[in-house]
Amino acid sequence: MSLRLQQATFFAALTAAYAAYAGEIEGAVIVHRRLTKRAITAPVSAYQRGVAVNLDADAEQDPLEFERSHVVIYVEGEFPSRPGFAVMEQRNRRFAPDLLVLPAGSQISFPNEDPIFHNVFSLSKPKSFDLGNYVKGQTRLVTFPKPGIVFVNCHLHPNMSAAIVITPNSWGARADASGRFRFSGIPPGDYTVAAWHKAAGFVRQTVRVDNRRPARIEFLIPLEESVSASYAKR
Amino acid sequence: MKYAHRTFLWSIAPFTILLVGIFGAVQQSVSSTVRQGLRNSLRERQAAVASMERRAAARYSRALRAVAESAALKAGLQLVLHDGGKEARLTLEDQLKEICDSIGVDFLLISNGNGVPLAGIMRSGDRISGMDLASIETPTGEYLLHSGHIYRVTPIPVNQAGENIATLSVGERFDLSEFNAPVALLRSGRVIDANLPGFSLRELESGLRRCGRDSECEFSLRNETYLSEVLENVRFGNGYTLRSLQNVDRAVSPVQRVLRRIFVNSGLCALLAAIGLSAVSARSIVQPIAQVVAQLRNSAGSGLPPEFSACASPVREIRELMASFNDAAGAIRDGREELSRAYVEFIGSLASALDARDPYTAGHSVRVSEYSLAIARRLNLAPQQIDEIRIGALLHDIGKIGIADSVLQKPGGLTAEEFALIREHPVIGRKILEGVQGLAPYLAIVELHHENWDGSGYPYGQRGQETPLGARIVHVADAYDAMTSDRPYRRGMRREEALRALIRNAGVQFDPLVVKVFAESLGDEGDLRPRQNVSLANLARAIRGEPVAAAQEASRLS
Repeated sequence: MSLRLQQATFFAALTAAYAAYAGEIEGAVIVHRRLTKRAITAPVSAYQRGVAVNLDADAEQDPLEFERSHVVIYVEGEFPSRPGFAVMEQRNRRFAPDLLVLPAGSQISFPNEDPIFHNVFSLSKPKSFDLGNYVKGQTRLVTFPKPGIVFVNCHLHPNMSAAIVITPNSWGARADASGRFRFSGIPPGDYTVAAWHKAAGFVRQTVRVDNRRPARIEFLIPLEESVSASYAKR
Repeated sequence: MKYAHRTFLWSIAPFTILLVGIFGAVQQSVSSTVRQGLRNSLRERQAAVASMERRAAARYSRALRAVAESAALKAGLQLVLHDGGKEARLTLEDQLKEICDSIGVDFLLISNGNGVPLAGIMRSGDRISGMDLASIETPTGEYLLHSGHIYRVTPIPVNQAGENIATLSVGERFDLSEFNAPVALLRSGRVIDANLPGFSLRELESGLRRCGRDSECEFSLRNETYLSEVLENVRFGNGYTLRSLQNVDRAVSPVQRVLRRIFVNSGLCALLAAIGLSAVSARSIVQPIAQVVAQLRNSAGSGLPPEFSACASPVREIRELMASFNDAAGAIRDGREELSRAYVEFIGSLASALDARDPYTAGHSVRVSEYSLAIARRLNLAPQQIDEIRIGALLHDIGKIGIADSVLQKPGGLTAEEFALIREHPVIGRKILEGVQGLAPYLAIVELHHENWDGSGYPYGQRGQETPLGARIVHVADAYDAMTSDRPYRRGMRREEALRALIRNAGVQFDPLVVKVFAESLGDEGDLRPRQNVSLANLARAIRGEPVAAAQEASRLS
């Protein structure tokens, strides 16, 4: 217990020291077009029963807002970080939320909120697991020690899918609805910042962080062909 | 015309009967052929539909096999099989709902390897809800009736590691209206559903009762004939049968209508043609025959041989018939004329011979005939009548054959008995000639040439015009010749004297007109004087009507 407390005090001091000499990275994700392919057909029954089928309709959200908020940005390179905790529910035959960003070593709880069985599992390299069948009110806890991207599914419901991004440090987050993000307390130096989208994949940029003003980055997702070529040269 | 009518009827009636009979027979046979064809096409159509259905069902079940291979479904199934709790069943039900929504079926039932239902869902309207498993019959056929709806069910086996762990029955709502032909769904004789518009199920049921369990039958519904077949290839199972209903009358009626039209048209044409032909044949054959018969009857009535106008008929046979009739009639006429002439000649020569018995009366008959001829000509009588008078005059005294020469040639006065005998001769002459056919026209002259104008003559005492004209003329001519001829007891009177005696007795003994005409003819024609000698040749001439006097004059002059 005392050791834990000492460790915590140490990290706090360290963070404070970084903050004293820390720089910031801020930026924006710019998404030009829809990245997630929509289902191209409605359920057969919708057609059969003469329901007006409108595949372009986005129920609650601006589609680009949805895409921007599903972009994960993190700084590469291992730095000491505090593990976190998050909850991913199974509700209405969906994972909620369907995208989580956590530093390595964090724990995630998977409670079943549906009246039916679910069977959450993952076959991803950073962490594979199978939580078995369990009913409403039960939960399972999973620790993710290694950074990487873990995809989660349900054996019973193939339509359920979620992604968990385990970052190597604490500087990782989902962009907000307008695409902005901001990391602070970064020691000056050269960094590689990665942006990931499930459909578009990784986009990386290097950035120099100093104390004077925040370093700015803009991610264009998806990368146009010419741009990605020039990045490749650099 | 009676013959023509009968012939017309005889030729038209069999034709009409034949036509009507043929029409009926052909209509019957065509109708039954059409009915048979309809039945066959119905059967073929059912077979075709069945094979298409089978292929479609095979395709459908292949596609559905992918659904049964869903790992998630199998996982859910395993959950139910091993856990068996309410949540597990709900989970499976939920999975079925998802499948149902995504492939758009109306009915999903999953049952374990032993056929025990595990979970089922059903769509009603837009809602998909769980099924009360207690109420469901495990489908044994391709169709399933549940809560008033028919479902077409495809059973899909769910296998795992070579073991059949369950059967997924995929059902779609099915309406009898989807059958493009009228059908009725029955279960043990009761009609449960039908898609024949305008008929109640009860009505259909009473009609179909006749069919019983026959796979094919005909029954009548509202006076129309229906053909019904069990649709063998639509397997409902659970005691349900589906029967097709085909209105035979309605299917046959267009053909029958066309047939009827054709037959009525062609039949009318044929009938008209037959009427025309019959009328023509009746006219061209029967009418001439009828005319021939009518003429023959006429001639039978009149006794005259018939004579037909030539070329009266366009038919050669009829013309020939008429011509041969004419020939035959001519021959008969000629023969008869010949016969009567022979009689006349015979009787004439008899009369002449009679005349010649007494030299004083020789040539008497020929002379009387000449005088009478002259009178008759002056009176402008018809040629036939003139001829009758001429020959009648020739024969007038034939009755004297029956009177003894002693009386006839007796010089001096006659006794009353003798005179009575003389008075017999007209009746005797009549009796002689009566038996000879063809001499009838001369009987009156022979019999009545001694009747007087005032009724004092014999044999009947007829008066005036009661006596025929011919007899009156011969009476005058006879008296004149008698007066002008010599007798053994006196010389003959001179012409004028005799004429005066005639005139004196005109209106008493003689017809005044005849006497007047005779006097005129004597005045005009000087050649009408009595002649003593008349040869047989002259007699023959007189009989033939040739001018005897002129020939005599000519011979005398030469």
